Amino acid sequence: MNLDFLTIDPGTILFTLINTLLIFLAFKFILFKRVDAILAQRQQEVTSTYTAADDALKSAKANQESYAQKLAGAKDEAAEIISRAEKKAQLEGDLILAQARTEAADTREKAAAATAREAAQAKAALQGEISDLAVELAQKIMEKEISKADHDRLIEEFMQEIQTEGEQA
Amino acid sequence: MQIRDFFRGSPDGIDVKGPGVLCSFEVGGVTINLTETVVISWGIILAVTLLLLWLTHGMKTKNISKRQVAAEWIVTTVYGLVEDTMGKHWRSFAPYIAALFTFSITGSLVSMLGLRSVTADFNAPLTWALITFVFIHGTNIKTHGLGGYLKGYVDPVPVMLPINILSEVATPVSMSLRHFGNVVSGMVITSLLYFALSAVTKAIGVAFLTIGIPAVLSLYFDLFSGFMQAFVFIMLTMAYISNADGRNEA
Repeated sequence: MNLDFLTIDPGTILFTLINTLLIFLAFKFILFKRVDAILAQRQQEVTSTYTAADDALKSAKANQESYAQKLAGAKDEAAEIISRAEKKAQLEGDLILAQARTEAADTREKAAAATAREAAQAKAALQGEISDLAVELAQKIMEKEISKADHDRLIEEFMQEIQTEGEQA
Repeated sequence: MQIRDFFRGSPDGIDVKGPGVLCSFEVGGVTINLTETVVISWGIILAVTLLLLWLTHGMKTKNISKRQVAAEWIVTTVYGLVEDTMGKHWRSFAPYIAALFTFSITGSLVSMLGLRSVTADFNAPLTWALITFVFIHGTNIKTHGLGGYLKGYVDPVPVMLPINILSEVATPVSMSLRHFGNVVSGMVITSLLYFALSAVTKAIGVAFLTIGIPAVLSLYFDLFSGFMQAFVFIMLTMAYISNADGRNEA
């Protein structure tokens, strides 16, 4: 049995209404709800990714600035250390130089004193010896008549003796 | 006069019938027929539901599958269409438009499986046109108020009242008859063609004509016309409802 070609059938209208509602519900609660949820979730992920990226950028910039500051500080500090070291070295060098000068002066003075002392000693010894020699020479002269030749020889010997004595001293 | 009257005199005759009735029962004096149209619609609902479940199964936010691309494309395209035609505040209307379009196009395309088109039963497009009719007037009353709505019938002059009423009633009638007429004419033409071709085959005894020609016509009447009518129907639905929406008036 068939309906007529063009019939308005309340049963079919009712069923079609229900069927349309069913297919609408399927679209709404299966396709649209799920896809909407996924799209929203993706949007949220994108937003959070952007936020994280912005944060990372910000912290990177902050780090960069702090490093630059630290670097500048380190440079200043290094310069200060170097200048301090230079000053200290200069000071120490001056001190050492002054000390050395004093020491050298001392040494010179001591050496001069020693030389003078020795010279005095030598002089004294020589004076003693000269007087001994004079005495000895006189004795010798007394002991024998001496010729002009002897006389010359004696003087020569005496002079030599003085010389050797002086050299030994 | 019935369509079969045109073919009287042919030995086999051809008959373009309405949908078959599987069973009928009485509810409060009204005969409720369970027709071919309704049963095929159930099959369509089942198939569409399964398809949607498959499309939206295991969706992720990253590394998405082709199914999910398709699902997201459908949703965003329908949203775009609805927002462009009706405005952003009609966004929640998108699932109905998608459902209507799908029901209409699958209802026409089942003919390719050898079933009777759901849309070749006048009651189906009539139901959808009535839904649209209710939406049009509901929206009109909601956005203009009952007074504003009733005043619309005597605009611009009270003489226009009957014409305005006629124009409102004409909307669902024209929508449903346009859809029904297009699909059913395709069905009739295809039947005529088969009849004619088999007559020719009988006359010359070679069956080559029935092979390619019906397929080409089916491509137009089933695929193209089915798609066009579904599209026209949803576009008209959106345009009429959007027109009735006072918020869209500049």
